[in-house]
Amino acid sequence: MPVVDSPVTRLGADGISRRFGPVVANDGIDLAVRAGEIHAIVGQNGAGKSTLMRIFQGLDQPDAGHVIVDGLPVRFRGPADALAQGIGMVHQEFMLADALTLAENLILGAEPGRRGIIDRRAALDRARQLGDQAGVDLDWGQRAGDASVPDRQIVEILRLLYRGADTLILDEPTAVLAPSQVDRLFGLLRALRQDGHTILFISHKLREVMALADRVTVLRQGRVITTIDVGSIDQDALAQLAVGETVEPPYREAGDGVGDVILDVVGLSVAGTGDRPALDQVSFEVREGEILGIAGVAGNGQEALIASMIGLARPSAGRIVVRGRELGGHSVADHRSFGVGYVSADRAGEGLCRQATLTENAIAGEQRQLAKESKGWLLPGRCRQRAQTIVDRYQVVHGGLGRPVAELSGGNQQRLLIGREIDRSPSLLLIAQPTRGVDLKGIAAIHRELLAYRQRGGAIVMVSEELDELIALSDHILVLCGGRAMGIVDREDASTETLAPLMVGAAAA
Amino acid sequence: MSGALPRALEDGLRLAMPFVAALLVGAILLAITGRDPFSTYAELFNEALGGQSRIAATLTAATPLIFTGLATAIAFRAGVFNVGVEGSFYLGGLAAAWVGFAWIGLGGTLQMLAALGFGAFVGGLWMLLPGWLRARMEVDEVVTTLMLNFIAIGIALWLVNGPLLAAGSANSATPMVLPEARLLRLIPPSTLNAGFLIGLAALVAYGVWLRLRVGGFENRLVGLNPRFARSVGISVASVILLAIVLSGVIGGLGGATHALGVVGRFSEGFSPGYGFTGIAVALLGRNRPVGILIGALIFGALTSAGTTVQLFADIPLDLVQVLEGTVMMLAVVEAVRWARRRRAVRAVAP
Repeated sequence: MPVVDSPVTRLGADGISRRFGPVVANDGIDLAVRAGEIHAIVGQNGAGKSTLMRIFQGLDQPDAGHVIVDGLPVRFRGPADALAQGIGMVHQEFMLADALTLAENLILGAEPGRRGIIDRRAALDRARQLGDQAGVDLDWGQRAGDASVPDRQIVEILRLLYRGADTLILDEPTAVLAPSQVDRLFGLLRALRQDGHTILFISHKLREVMALADRVTVLRQGRVITTIDVGSIDQDALAQLAVGETVEPPYREAGDGVGDVILDVVGLSVAGTGDRPALDQVSFEVREGEILGIAGVAGNGQEALIASMIGLARPSAGRIVVRGRELGGHSVADHRSFGVGYVSADRAGEGLCRQATLTENAIAGEQRQLAKESKGWLLPGRCRQRAQTIVDRYQVVHGGLGRPVAELSGGNQQRLLIGREIDRSPSLLLIAQPTRGVDLKGIAAIHRELLAYRQRGGAIVMVSEELDELIALSDHILVLCGGRAMGIVDREDASTETLAPLMVGAAAA
Repeated sequence: MSGALPRALEDGLRLAMPFVAALLVGAILLAITGRDPFSTYAELFNEALGGQSRIAATLTAATPLIFTGLATAIAFRAGVFNVGVEGSFYLGGLAAAWVGFAWIGLGGTLQMLAALGFGAFVGGLWMLLPGWLRARMEVDEVVTTLMLNFIAIGIALWLVNGPLLAAGSANSATPMVLPEARLLRLIPPSTLNAGFLIGLAALVAYGVWLRLRVGGFENRLVGLNPRFARSVGISVASVILLAIVLSGVIGGLGGATHALGVVGRFSEGFSPGYGFTGIAVALLGRNRPVGILIGALIFGALTSAGTTVQLFADIPLDLVQVLEGTVMMLAVVEAVRWARRRRAVRAVAP
């Protein structure tokens, strides 16, 4: 039975402040998460959410104020202290041992058994029991490394329950999930609430907050702006509170769709890891000033499609023609020199080099041209000048061009990455997950950039797991399922209702 | 926070730390065996740097380590752990010695240049196979380059005991190289020679290449994050191949200067593990030119002090070996951290 109106504060903050040098991450935060509620925390990147969560886990200590548990101030020295009080956290990066089974991962650290011998039967029974309670069905004997992302996430949650947690902190749990998987997670969280568990849920996605949470706390620049019942506010008003100003949706001019064909893909296939191809006979074309969105549940051929179009993967069949030139199977350098730009979905691992400086990241890929202009020398002044242009033009907030990119916030990293690619004026831009992990204001800025580039005649192929984003920006949307094209939906017809059936493999009407 | 200290200072501390720790370990050892650590260290210091001839000896001992340290660093920077510099050093030395005594009639400086060039060429050639295997087939270079060391040393021994054995010589050595092939002695009678200056020049060239040339830029990016490098259009395989071969070239050049500058020939036991000490030098020097120089000088000082100190003072050679061993061990700590980072970068799933 939900006890939403219970006045008991299960987990809270009493005037918590935390500074890092000149940066005030938390500025006198008061928070009260009531027992048995789903409480959301929303805020921009850098609003202080992560710092607060680290303090709730004992990974960081406040300079002032206290963590409150069951109405009393406590001091956590680490996650173990928090767990002893029944508070567990699911991080964005899962912490499962890949080589162990899901059941073994569940009991890891608190194995049932005697004299050092693990009682596997008891472990499996307990696992099934927890799964049944939560209403999920898992293959517990599967190795964690082989399990799907949503299954791994559910094991993370059940593991905390197994260890006795009744209060869960979830950090952006839907960032790694496809829409249908989000529904399953939310079902589980609602079932947990039904059983009297308390859930603190951090998110960028206001729609999900509106759908799931009982109450929401808005953080901005380290301060609590308000805590409010979700029933008494709408999404736009919430967005305004989080950002501190009205977010204008970017202006999108209607395209005439009669430009030259920039990209012509015919019967493109890419071999997969098993028997099934990763991409199977996909054809489409993209014209000047056109955005083609690629929709699909994660892992249905989007990666292979993008990788083959930039030269990171070799097509097993078919043609990729850019401005009349066959590029399939050529190197990345060739693709780039023929005007293809690439924004990776994996910003920190592939799109940028975290340890390298802003300047190095900004000129990477352009080093040969820059050297050619200076008799073979890569002059530091010239490189800096180039980086400065990009940083200014795309409003990257940074602490110095010679500092490592790892120090930038996610949104600024993404602006640097997109800026680097667009500023080279490619005729075709491949972009995957353009706004993953970027806050609301950042999203609007990125969408504006992409539309401006389209307006200048650029062609874009955009993979995104955000259907809203695809629908808002795309001229056409290609839906992939199992590596095959299920259909191309025109802008006028694009909606969740028309796209969702195609994403799970229903043939186009 | 990484930005708290200026980078140069941080690097300096990192470089000094293993040596300070080693001196502490040595001091404890000395105290236990009833010797006065301070006077012993003073003696050691004096042997390494007391006077012109001692300094010259230290610089001479540091010269091969400059080359092997630099050779290792070039590969390290591209994310490649080349432990085969020893093999390149051996074969480069042998090749240079052969040109030095057998190519009669070249005459003058040309003889020396040809010998140096051929040594470097053979050193690089030796790394072509492991380079290709790593770049194209993703065969672990640690295994291949380590194994190739044994083969290189075996080949060199066979040649120097057979086809290239000096006539009438009982010990395994080639004939002496022609006088015009010898490198210039800088401060006679010490053996300090122009090889040291060539080493310094190579360090400077390396620094310039790393910062101001496209090759160095790409080398660094591949070492930091190969997936990133690939996605911006850098040919990772070519960069890795070039780095390993270049590493072999420098290793071979090191062997050549050692043969032409110090030994005057190639003989059995040509290198007492310069290639391996070079790994420690590169690690301690953080793969930076100045760091490599300092690392090589410190190891050089230990070596030159070690060789004479036991002749004059009541200090066992073992002490110097304990000091060297401790520094090496602490350098390995750095190697492990480096390897972990390398694995972490490689493991980032697509």
